[in-house]
Amino acid sequence: MERAGNIMGGRFLASTIPVLCGVIGVFAANLPFSFLGSWVPSPLYALMPVYFWCLVRPDLMSPAWAFLIGVLHDILSGGPPGVWAASFVATYAVIDRQRDAFAGLSGWGALLGFATAALIACATDYFIFDIYHWRVLPLTPYVKEFAVTVLFYAPVALLLGAIHRHLVGPLRSDF
Amino acid sequence: MGNVTWRIARTRGGAHLPLIIVAALAVALILIGKAQSSLFDTARTHVMDWMKPALVTARAPMVEFTRWVGSIGEIFVVYQENLKLKEENARLLQWRNTATSLNERLKRYKLLLNAVPDPALSTRVARVIGRASHPFLQTLILDAGKTNGVKPGQAVVDSSGMIGRIFLTGERTSWVILLTDLNSRIPVTIEPGNAQAIMAGDNSPTPAIETLSRGTQLNAGDQVVSSGDGDILPAGLPIGVILVDGSSYRVGLFADQTATQDVEILDFKLPPEHPPAPSPNDLPVTAAGLPPAAPPPQQPAAASPTVKPSVSPPVRSTVKPQVPKTQGATPAAPSGGPDNDVPDVGNE
Repeated sequence: MERAGNIMGGRFLASTIPVLCGVIGVFAANLPFSFLGSWVPSPLYALMPVYFWCLVRPDLMSPAWAFLIGVLHDILSGGPPGVWAASFVATYAVIDRQRDAFAGLSGWGALLGFATAALIACATDYFIFDIYHWRVLPLTPYVKEFAVTVLFYAPVALLLGAIHRHLVGPLRSDF
Repeated sequence: MGNVTWRIARTRGGAHLPLIIVAALAVALILIGKAQSSLFDTARTHVMDWMKPALVTARAPMVEFTRWVGSIGEIFVVYQENLKLKEENARLLQWRNTATSLNERLKRYKLLLNAVPDPALSTRVARVIGRASHPFLQTLILDAGKTNGVKPGQAVVDSSGMIGRIFLTGERTSWVILLTDLNSRIPVTIEPGNAQAIMAGDNSPTPAIETLSRGTQLNAGDQVVSSGDGDILPAGLPIGVILVDGSSYRVGLFADQTATQDVEILDFKLPPEHPPAPSPNDLPVTAAGLPPAAPPPQQPAAASPTVKPSVSPPVRSTVKPQVPKTQGATPAAPSGGPDNDVPDVGNE
């Protein structure tokens, strides 16, 4: 009975870790300080766990969680509500449809896969912003954000991999 | 990048329905946010108020670290910097003397001209505890909010010049929209020449000058200050200098938004306008040099039975002078005239 309780507790903890990583990513992206200077946008840290667990354990990173992480990102970033949420959902939809292609990538290919996801997120956000403001906005800020996000994915993916192996992975046999 | 070593879930198809639902929710959220942004602003300020202690705690080591990193580079240029500062200090002392004498002269002129005094300005110092840098959002979060008297619209300056203005206030925190932000529009005056324009942020470090009068020529180095149009911001706040960018103009800001840690919030108070109380000397007859009339003789109420308020012509209260009842300053109207007996109800 006690063992069953431990298993349930561990399972619950493991299931919250991907979402927790997404929330931490939102906070990290909206930290009041930047090592990169104010003219380089913060990387989309929140997109990284969404992408990672959408491929590896989509049952732990459902579209609803991707949406809620996007909403939190909207609230903390100070931008119009729903824009990043819609971008994350759009990215999730593409990853979900092309999961086999994305999941088969390794090394630089995996980085390229994430770059595709980041490009979708940034492009969606850009188009929604264009419509929101009803004008064609400069692309440069998004190019910067895209570049810095892809650049930061490599170390963050290693960290997410370690988290998955040691904390989430042991429960994967359940699904 | 590490996503091939695990067994991949094969649940495609099951997630399609939630995807459609959350996509619809996201679109609805954007539309609601566009129509009712105050809902999300409230949530935003609550979250920031709640996070304020964590932000303040996290700020201190980061500020120290940034200062330490910055100081490493400064070691190598400290001698040249010192010489430059000495020279600049000597030049500024000369300018200070000039400014002091000009300020005194300006005060005298204002006194002579009986000029309207400048509106009162009170300031409040706040610390930067947050700094958002996103593609189309450049904001600061300050550790002062409604409880400190901060209100949306107030100007935020640092020691060099204007940084932005408050656009959202929580109980203990407030958000500043920077001059470089895409949504920032500030009416400015460009001196010399007193040219009026709008300075618009476009997320670049140098905001653009827009809606400048046709034919107005600006020169690099012209001073840009707030114009005070619309009574939202005080006039004359230093903002930057003009940079010529091909056929357009941009503004090189004085304030360094990336390094600012402490700012001042300006509470711009327009003095309430109280119309002066009329005195007998202000009345046209007295002003024309005629002697003030004696008060009308007291007559019994029954002595003027012919005049009835109900048949009197309509009198506009705005043209009827407010005469103090204790003084009979105006010449008496002909006895029995309608003006004398019209009840003074129009002012109410």
